[in-house]
Amino acid sequence: MTSRSMLASFSDHAARRAQATALVWQDERISYSELYEMAARAASELRALDLPRSQPVGLLAEKSPSAIALILGCLMAGHCFVLPSFELASATHEILFERASCSAILSPETGTKVGSMRFATKIIDTRASGTGLARAIEAGDIAVMLTTSGSTGLPKLVPLPMRGIERFMDWACDKFGIGPGKTVLNYAPLNFDLCFLDVWATLKGGGCVALVDRRHATNGTQLLRLLSTADVQVIQAVPMFYRLLIEAAKPSGVRFKGVQHVIFTGDSMPGACLEALPTLFPAAAFYNIYGCTETNDSFIHEADLSSPFAGRVPIGQPLPGVEAAILDENGAVIEGSGVGELVVLTPFQTRGYIGDDLNEGKFLSLIRGGSVQAYFRSGDLVQRHEDGSITLEGRKDFHVKVRGNRVNMQEVERIILDHADVIEGAVVALPDQLAGNRLQASVRRRPRSGLNSLHLFQHCARSLARAAIPSSFTVGDSPLPKTSTGKIDRQQIRQLYLKGEHHA
Amino acid sequence: MPNVRIKQFVIEEFLPDVPEGDLTEDFDLIENGVIDSLGLLKVIAWIEDEFGVLIEVDEMVPENFSTIGTISAFVERTRELSGSDNLELA
Repeated sequence: MTSRSMLASFSDHAARRAQATALVWQDERISYSELYEMAARAASELRALDLPRSQPVGLLAEKSPSAIALILGCLMAGHCFVLPSFELASATHEILFERASCSAILSPETGTKVGSMRFATKIIDTRASGTGLARAIEAGDIAVMLTTSGSTGLPKLVPLPMRGIERFMDWACDKFGIGPGKTVLNYAPLNFDLCFLDVWATLKGGGCVALVDRRHATNGTQLLRLLSTADVQVIQAVPMFYRLLIEAAKPSGVRFKGVQHVIFTGDSMPGACLEALPTLFPAAAFYNIYGCTETNDSFIHEADLSSPFAGRVPIGQPLPGVEAAILDENGAVIEGSGVGELVVLTPFQTRGYIGDDLNEGKFLSLIRGGSVQAYFRSGDLVQRHEDGSITLEGRKDFHVKVRGNRVNMQEVERIILDHADVIEGAVVALPDQLAGNRLQASVRRRPRSGLNSLHLFQHCARSLARAAIPSSFTVGDSPLPKTSTGKIDRQQIRQLYLKGEHHA
Repeated sequence: MPNVRIKQFVIEEFLPDVPEGDLTEDFDLIENGVIDSLGLLKVIAWIEDEFGVLIEVDEMVPENFSTIGTISAFVERTRELSGSDNLELA
């Protein structure tokens, strides 16, 4: 089935269901016709600039209705765009925009009323005509460029084809019943690939997106309020969102009976959270979704949380059209049970990062079903169990040796996060002359919980081997440092420890 | 009593954010990963300096150092045997 494009569907909703709400933002509701008008204005301003279509435009846009309209405007005007995290340093933005050969940098003007659509423009005019990049854009192979989280060094530019994105959005609408009358909560910043599901598929399907304002993203009470007022049916968010929500909902015992689909993604979901979810969302189905920016979502598992859950939630089954394999340490495909690196091939994936040198070792040619295909090396270690189910074990590079024992630091983090009084936790390895490495845990505790390292030692000792118990814990009340895409910045935490500057 | 000083040392070295009252005499420091094999070497070196005793290799077993209580009893016992009571400053 060939479906219509997101843009055509969106325009259709604006024409036929003009007054239907497209976005909920703070205390406002923006209808499809309002959003369409804002987008059309952005598109016409963009056309007036007469920028070459063979070059992308760079977008500096923090989540807002104007930012969404600007993105739609780019699509309407037929411009490929680069959407890095808004929170990167401006020097990093400049490097990324230059690397992507952007012709201009656009940002919605701040301080303007919702509905008025103006943007600031900075023409940079990096010529790209005749290059492979320009040809790929002209051929429609690149529509959007996102960036990787870049916890190590400069974020990488990930070009994505519109065909793949459209196919993914169709799957999402179908799978979660996203359409007119449905409201989907968007927690992630706009530069996350997660938005293909919660923002863009929703606008394609004709539903309503309830946007979480970045300034409220770590405020459980505000999240609770948005869920209550926006009458949400579908939620997609990272585990931290659910932790905050569960905590904030405790005093009142509030339940969300209208929520039908609860999707967690981006990280392992702590056991304590899984236990609390069915109470908070008594009528919902629960899903674990696995994916990377480079490939978009590739696995989904519907989790039965009705009985107490032991162990890890499987990543589940490949999405339609997705192929996957598990490789052992020598790069050979593991057919039965075993632990290895997950490699995936999805209909939504990138053909490679911008910058040929960055692609070395990231893609792998595998002959499957008679043809050679470029699989993406996820860098994630997975285990395929006897029953065929696959669980995420951690990152390939999250393994360290402590006193000769191989320790998976993510496993340690997962155990720490299982403690009811822990809001965030990160484990880093510091060099140690004797032990090789020692593990240092950094923990943000629940306010007024009085949690200290003694409790955490006891807690970890119940589930972890001796060598995997961190040598020390820093327990505090402040949020842990984050990367531009909101993930915990372990590199920065590690640097702070190495410099002796980390304190709770 | 050596146990007060031992507790202070263990807290300072391994559990700096823990109030003294939280650490009980019978909390298993080794089982709970507070003192690992390398931490044990630190504890032994400190006891030797602090209480002026020499700890033999065959005494360096986890059982002697698993709790504040057992460390304290071990120190008492070793001091009696070596007659080094007089080294302790009042």
